[in-house]
Amino acid sequence: MPLLDPSLVDGVIKRASRSGADFVELFVERKRNQSISVEESKVQRVSSGNDLGAGLRIIHQGTVSYVYTEDLSEAGLLKTADLAAQVGRHGGGRFAFGDLTGAPRAPQPIEVPPHTVGPEAKIELLLEADQAARDVSSAIKQVAVGYGHSAQEVLVATSEGIHHSDSRTRVRLMIHAVAERNGEIQTAMEAPGMQRGFEFFDDTSAAEYARAAAERAVSLLDAAPSPAGPMAVIVGNEFGGVLFHEACGHGLEADFVGKGSTVFTGKIGQAVASPIVTAIDDGTLPSRWGTLAVDDEGVPTRRNVLIQDGVLISYMYDRLRAGQQNHVVTGNGRRQSYQHLPIPRMTNTFIAAGAHSVEDIIAATPRGLYAKKLGAGQVDVTTGDFVFAVTEGYLVEGGKIGRPVRGATIVGNGPRALHKIDMIANDLKLAPGTCGKEGQGVPVSVGQPTIRISELTVGGTGVMPAGAMRQ
Amino acid sequence: MNPIGERVLERCKRLGSEDAEVYLSRGTEFTVRVYNGAIESLVSAESRGIGLRTFREHRVGFSYTSETEADALDGLVDDALLNGRYNHADAANVLPVTQAADPLAGLASPALSRVEPQRKIEFALEMERRATSLDPRVRRVSNAVYSDGTGEVEIVNSRGLQASFARTVAYGVLETIAEQDSEMQSGFAFTHGRDMEELDLAGVVQEAVENAAGLLGARPVKTATVPVVLHPHAAAMILGVLANSFSADAVIKRRSLLAGKLGEQVAAGIVTITDDARLPEGLASRPFDGEGVPSRSNELIADGVLKGYLHNTYTAARTNGQSTGSAVRSYKSVPEVGVSNLVLKPGDISRDALLARVENGLHVSQLSGLNTVNPVSGEFSLGLTGHWIEHGRLTTPVKELTVAGNVIALLKKVVAVASDLRFMFAGGFCGSPTVLIEELPVGGL
Repeated sequence: MPLLDPSLVDGVIKRASRSGADFVELFVERKRNQSISVEESKVQRVSSGNDLGAGLRIIHQGTVSYVYTEDLSEAGLLKTADLAAQVGRHGGGRFAFGDLTGAPRAPQPIEVPPHTVGPEAKIELLLEADQAARDVSSAIKQVAVGYGHSAQEVLVATSEGIHHSDSRTRVRLMIHAVAERNGEIQTAMEAPGMQRGFEFFDDTSAAEYARAAAERAVSLLDAAPSPAGPMAVIVGNEFGGVLFHEACGHGLEADFVGKGSTVFTGKIGQAVASPIVTAIDDGTLPSRWGTLAVDDEGVPTRRNVLIQDGVLISYMYDRLRAGQQNHVVTGNGRRQSYQHLPIPRMTNTFIAAGAHSVEDIIAATPRGLYAKKLGAGQVDVTTGDFVFAVTEGYLVEGGKIGRPVRGATIVGNGPRALHKIDMIANDLKLAPGTCGKEGQGVPVSVGQPTIRISELTVGGTGVMPAGAMRQ
Repeated sequence: MNPIGERVLERCKRLGSEDAEVYLSRGTEFTVRVYNGAIESLVSAESRGIGLRTFREHRVGFSYTSETEADALDGLVDDALLNGRYNHADAANVLPVTQAADPLAGLASPALSRVEPQRKIEFALEMERRATSLDPRVRRVSNAVYSDGTGEVEIVNSRGLQASFARTVAYGVLETIAEQDSEMQSGFAFTHGRDMEELDLAGVVQEAVENAAGLLGARPVKTATVPVVLHPHAAAMILGVLANSFSADAVIKRRSLLAGKLGEQVAAGIVTITDDARLPEGLASRPFDGEGVPSRSNELIADGVLKGYLHNTYTAARTNGQSTGSAVRSYKSVPEVGVSNLVLKPGDISRDALLARVENGLHVSQLSGLNTVNPVSGEFSLGLTGHWIEHGRLTTPVKELTVAGNVIALLKKVVAVASDLRFMFAGGFCGSPTVLIEELPVGGL
């Protein structure tokens, strides 16, 4: 069943076009979600939600106006169309918009729609995971596990006569373990997720992820504070891709580029990274968190090579910026919901695999930090300066993995760090995340193989062992 | 009574829910973004939503919807009741005792709805225009936004509660780019109020320009242990990190670094922190919380001693305490425990007098990576941007510095608090003056 009667869709677009708009687009979205949380080994909350709304975008001589509503009745939509036509009269610039070409691909196949599975099976999964985490050690004092799914249907219709739709179903697990010993507290989390139905759990063991989180929290109790100072940093493939995503990926989004507010502006064709680096944004990867059949402007997604052998190949565009910057669309126009304007966003972004094994890289590193797993981070898009937490880290001494360290952060500059990548392993891995920009959160994948950056500043409270560099 | 609320409550009762609560919210948004002297985008909209909690045999069910059609409302009730069946029964799952909240005047500016869109657009354009004509090194603006909104909340429940209030907010955001040789620095500033008239156009322009231009020539420095001065915004962001630790829910679930420290000295004696949901200038002020419990001012740390935690009805019932009116939520979520206007009490010396006490130290204007702070252990390792202080004056800009430590240890090292209280959104609406920290190891080259 279509989200909205096609003749009503066309009627709304026609009505909003009456003011002489250059372009009108209606985005309709329905999203149903469910979440279940288990805390203190008890079902704390089962909740569900239902979002339905539409956003109407009008471009009038280069100026974008946007109106959204939850009232999808004919009267409600026509009233919204009138309001859109009225606010959309502030234009004065040139209209340029990327052409929407290509047939939409099929949505990701879903075998078992998660809403068809009762809460019982999900709760059983969570209680199993909770127990598995607690069984790891008596030091595990608190475990929180959660399940969530969302099923989003979107329809994009434009004054060009295009009606494209997509359906995106995502399931995710969240595990948070707290270990405590002698007043010392450490935490660790795991949050696997895919764009699949409940069959995700046929080959994903919640208990295994729970054990991994619990084991890491316990091992952190024995970790020494991380040393500080400049050193070689090996960034592992577990969420390590967040580093490229934040410190470089955002700088390749065409809205920032168009304003000249990133260091990558005007650098197409130039060497922006070490020659061993190839980076890709691919919205077509099967079942991935950031995969889309069409983006939120109806543009079919594709595989976009951003950096090839160190040379900058392409930025990421939405239709507006593609038009302004005279580039083809790349399928990167995304929005959090019908309440938001589409802007250039990443989908599944990763550094391509290299030739080395992880062992090679560690053996070739006399001294440094092995940041096996990264956590949250922050970046200044203009300068590329970044800070990231290392949630699982080890010292590397004499080409061997040494003692675990905690509380480390890595600080540096994205574009400079790209040039300092001197080894890339063959263990590419992608992980799901929610990317925030201008107050909009969208699901993405971040990914990379294990890489070595020849020098980064490490922040921490500890001291490097004797013979190492000063603190 | 609100007809939607009435209909939903009636169905809840009929289907066997002993208690129920309907949270209705309505809002408007107007946002204009300008670039290069023209409108880049303009958003104007109204939105609404409904959240429902049902209580049956002490099991809570929750669901929400943005639809108000009759069958959607019926589905809302059915979903909540179904969800509740799976939740564990807990005697602490109760509705609050119904109390009338004292009204709080001045939360909404009626004038805001009468401001012509053209004047709002002009505000954003004027910000951009002035920002590019103040300093020859700042010729570009990457973001100039004016935005305002109204929000109306109405809560009705089966215990006879019928309460509502409205609030307005307006703000301007400005991001500039300063350039010199091949170096680029960005500068961010914002101004906020309940109405466009309360926004400080000249102030936000000057600050955004100074923040960007002031960082030009920033360079890494050598590792040192020095006194550190936190700009009010940097200090307010640390308050924002601490905010969740005041939550009794976090305490119960061992996710608070203040757990088990009631009555203990957790900060220096000059530190007093209050969460005041009735603060006149507080943009998070409200007459009652997300469950309809009257708002009040809660002293959390007085003269360095931890005085209490924040509670909603659930955590209060669970710990035999009183709700502090600290339930925060949207229609899409159940009431969680959270801060409103979280304020570090100002001292009586000026910012300049505080700076004058520093012979050689670091002034921090921005902290990065606050989302990496371990909320349970309080351990942090952050990136810093700011200036060296020499003889009480800010001198060379610095970058790529790190500081590592523990939030509690930091609170204990506060040696001076200035009088220049400023607010920003950092989780809650957090306010702090300039703060002097005794000494911290700062990592650089």
